[in-house]
Amino acid sequence: MRIDAVGRTDLPDQQREALRSAVRWEWFTIGYTTVTIVLIALVVGGSQAMKTAWVEDMLSLIPQISFLLALLFIRRRPTRAFPYGLHRVMGVGHLVAGVALLTIGGSLAVESVVGLVKAEHPAIGTVRVFGATVWLGWFMVAVMALVVVGPFFYGHAKAKLAPVLHNKVLYADADMAKADWTTTVASIVGVLGVGIGLWWLDGVAALFISAGIVWDGIKNARTAILDLIDQRARTQDDSGAHPLIGRIVQRLEELPWVDEAAVRMRDMGQVFHVEAFVVPRRRKVRVRELDEARRAVAEIDWKMQDVSIVVVPALPKEATNESVVA
Amino acid sequence: MRPRIVSALAVAATLALALTGCGIPADPDGSLDRITGGVLRAGASPSGNLVMVDGDEVSGVLPEVIEDFAAARDARVEWTVDSEEDLVDDLASGRLDVAVGGMTAQTPWAEQVSVTRAYPELPGANGADVVILLPMGENGLQAAIEGFLDEEVG
Repeated sequence: MRIDAVGRTDLPDQQREALRSAVRWEWFTIGYTTVTIVLIALVVGGSQAMKTAWVEDMLSLIPQISFLLALLFIRRRPTRAFPYGLHRVMGVGHLVAGVALLTIGGSLAVESVVGLVKAEHPAIGTVRVFGATVWLGWFMVAVMALVVVGPFFYGHAKAKLAPVLHNKVLYADADMAKADWTTTVASIVGVLGVGIGLWWLDGVAALFISAGIVWDGIKNARTAILDLIDQRARTQDDSGAHPLIGRIVQRLEELPWVDEAAVRMRDMGQVFHVEAFVVPRRRKVRVRELDEARRAVAEIDWKMQDVSIVVVPALPKEATNESVVA
Repeated sequence: MRPRIVSALAVAATLALALTGCGIPADPDGSLDRITGGVLRAGASPSGNLVMVDGDEVSGVLPEVIEDFAAARDARVEWTVDSEEDLVDDLASGRLDVAVGGMTAQTPWAEQVSVTRAYPELPGANGADVVILLPMGENGLQAAIEGFLDEEVG
């Protein structure tokens, strides 16, 4: 464990291994998705649902690319110019991914609604394979049935790694991959609908897929913005306040010279920035005691990247001083 | 993984072939059903040897293909001779079932009407990507015509 003047800067073995694994999965996903994009391009035809699923596939690359790019930055140590390190790059990448999903998903949704209102009948012709004339729709169904399997594997693998690394980009990425099969099934339903003469089923499927993209965009942009404007640190799935806040309060109040303690903790993206306020029992506090308190907090968890202890006469209201937070 | 993909594709292709006979793809507006044993409303716009118009007589390579296609479906052809733009309008508003002329795969009308695959092997096409125009999304009719052309020239 390495604790320097302000906090921890090393990764424990478990996190180091998880990070290596996450990087491998992200590269695998990029490779897999590239193959599916090429496969779908071969059969995309006149189906709006297929086109939407295709664009969704391309958009699904953004979280992986922003994760890998952000990693290059967050590994750098703090400097005088960037005294908090570059951890927020992860949040910026998350925001960019969210906004991209939101805008492109929105324009696809508008496109499919316009198509439905104008009653545009999707045209799907035939192709000639080995001397036989085959409807292109069958190839669309075949390709989509093939590509449906991948996201199950990498989605669940990343979902296991995200909590270990406390990484919201990875969590969101895994979440989207796990829901990806709905997109694939919707596009198959759309194409088969066109096959039996129900032209509108294609537009409805496209609308369903684009609504999913918009929803992913809203979720991602919202999570990223809330962290960038420094809401109280929450768990990686955003389900509640992070339990570490309570553990810090508890740890500080165990110290004999501390009367009460409260914490402001923000999520820098994968690591935390902690400001702990302590009210001492007596009027004098030793430098050694303060340094021990800081060290004690940093030792609680690897995510304690940046810890400052502030001695105050009374706790600020906005700081949390419960030992169990939910 | 690769042999599995190939075999999956093969299964899908076989399945597709088996199901092609079962009325998939179908026409949203039932064009092919209406034409079979009835009337095929065809539009023609003159273009070199492909489509020739002499008074009410329409002849050439493409009208012949349409006549043969209709004959194979016990249908009679009713010809309308007009400009390309008017033919496209008629297709879009459901007054025509097919239109032929010198249109190629690069035709700008693809926004308003369905365009078949290109048949550069047609006699008189001189290697140009000759296509036939259809009402948008009448996929049953398109599959039937493309299948017929594949048999004839492919």
